[in-house]
Amino acid sequence: MKPLTTPLSNQKAAASYRLSERLPVGLTIHRWKESADQLNISLPVFDEQDLVLTFINYKGDLHIATGNPPDNGQPASPGLGLLSTGNKEFQLKSFSPIHLSVIVLLIPRDWIGLFLKDNPNFSKIEQALETESNIITCRLGRRQLSLFSSIMNLEAKGRDNLLEIQNHALSLLEFFLCSRHRNLSAVHAAAGIDNEDDLSLIKEVESYISEYYCSDTFTVDSILKKTYTSYHKLNFLFKSTHGMTISEYIRNKRIEKSKEMIADNAKSISQIAYEIGYSSISNYILAFKKIYQITPGKYKKQMDSLA
Amino acid sequence: MGYVSLENSEPFLKCFEVIAEDKSCIVTDSVLYFSGKTGKGFITVAGVSTGIEVLAVNVSMLTDDLTFSFLPSPDASSYILSIEEIGIPGKPENELSLSLASTPTDKAHSSVSITDAEYGKLITYPKERIIRSLIVRVQKSSLGHLIHDFDAGAIATILQSANRVSSISWPITFKYRLLINDFMAEIVQHPFRELFTIRNISILVEYLLQQFFVMDKLAGEGNYLSSQDTVNLSKVEQHLCVHYKKEFPGIEKLSRISAMSPTSLKTKFKKYYGETLFGYYQKNKLEHARKLLDNKVPVKVVATEIGYSNPSHFTLAFKKEYGFSPWHYLNPH
Repeated sequence: MKPLTTPLSNQKAAASYRLSERLPVGLTIHRWKESADQLNISLPVFDEQDLVLTFINYKGDLHIATGNPPDNGQPASPGLGLLSTGNKEFQLKSFSPIHLSVIVLLIPRDWIGLFLKDNPNFSKIEQALETESNIITCRLGRRQLSLFSSIMNLEAKGRDNLLEIQNHALSLLEFFLCSRHRNLSAVHAAAGIDNEDDLSLIKEVESYISEYYCSDTFTVDSILKKTYTSYHKLNFLFKSTHGMTISEYIRNKRIEKSKEMIADNAKSISQIAYEIGYSSISNYILAFKKIYQITPGKYKKQMDSLA
Repeated sequence: MGYVSLENSEPFLKCFEVIAEDKSCIVTDSVLYFSGKTGKGFITVAGVSTGIEVLAVNVSMLTDDLTFSFLPSPDASSYILSIEEIGIPGKPENELSLSLASTPTDKAHSSVSITDAEYGKLITYPKERIIRSLIVRVQKSSLGHLIHDFDAGAIATILQSANRVSSISWPITFKYRLLINDFMAEIVQHPFRELFTIRNISILVEYLLQQFFVMDKLAGEGNYLSSQDTVNLSKVEQHLCVHYKKEFPGIEKLSRISAMSPTSLKTKFKKYYGETLFGYYQKNKLEHARKLLDNKVPVKVVATEIGYSNPSHFTLAFKKEYGFSPWHYLNPH
């Protein structure tokens, strides 16, 4: 896996880790976190007879691509479950900075035989899998997301934690099987937001942001005034499409832009900070550090030494 | 006499009313012979092919005692785990006064136990009660399906130790009550019963292990409580569980219920349940709150529902217990 593109790649992504455990009940769980500038990873492939249940949550923009050769893929939305047959290949891609957490639950064939095979409801799921080209998805609710994050945060030390992970994983599996399924093309949250108006609202706000985000008079309030929406509604829409609040979204845009400007090496850090709309340099440095775990000055030095 | 084979190929679960006329149920190695008395409710039998069998009993108002016997079989290599919750019918507000009428002479009371099937087990449920119980027979070898070193661990040693030859039992706590509530509410129409069952049993084993180590430590200190004490303590426990919506009753009232002095009630309760009185009350209350939050009930409503007059008190208490606020529980991003 190549988490980071140059030149940030020589800097370790601090939050990235991979863990695999075999749960006593017979499932295998892989979980990892990834913080990357750009992302292009393939998920591991298993036996055809096994089933793979993948849960994904992230902040940023993620695309899920299937097929060979992989295309740019479907835009996804945070808090997603994907059930696929073991041999189904798919890639996770992102073209902008992203914080990603993934849980992969491998359900072996004999386990399916024991617990699911004879169940009429399971046959329906198997059929759905066949008709939807071996992959079906569902959206996680609040309860599932909190299970998700507690699985991510538990260290598999000793049997107590392992049992807890197992119980959470079984709950997630049960939720997935019981929930309403969609096909892959419906993974974008837009599909979860059934309202046409909301869809066009998100588009409008996104384009408004990308036009004005560098102006120092630009605020979230100005968006609200322009679009006649409430802050809470907008935040909700952004959370479900990008996994972050609207202010986080704007900050990410600005910092991304500033990174390009640093790479151009034409302006000083303070100049850049003012140009992308920060009124104070220290705020800017903090924000940059939060996303890239490095200060802009150090980043600039790195760039210089590479040049 | 009807019977249900635990290994039959029928879909997993059988529900039936207890209306037969014979006196008892016998569970041999693979067959449950049942018969019962008139009453409402159901008994379900779940044979999971991994060597785990579940017998869920949910009956009320039987006209006669209900008896199960697990025949002792020297070569049987399984454990019987059971949770039994026995309540007395009545309106919720009267529940306490009625349950206090029950005396230690009652043959059975709510408990959790592990038994080595080698010696057999006789389970009797009294008539005219609300009985909800979960009896799990799990092969020693297949405990590995739930947990690696369960068998190799201390449970076997304890069971074999001189004091408690074949069985060890614990008081029932609110966690088991909630588990059994959920299980009974959903098992009949759950679309994935096998999965649901295995998950609940896995949770049960987790609870048992947690409690086991608390109790083991207690036993190591060599302080056993008299049976009268345990009955009195379970009255207090039940009071705290039932009245979770009301204010904490206060130590004086509890000590009246338990017929103990406040000081000895405090120490004994802590010893028996591993929690202080208020801690136990609070944990139960918040666990109920968490269940409500799972069902998408708004935080304000939850706070009022479980008896907080002020939502921010609830938020504080929730945060103290779980480390995150209810709002963060709902929005884990």
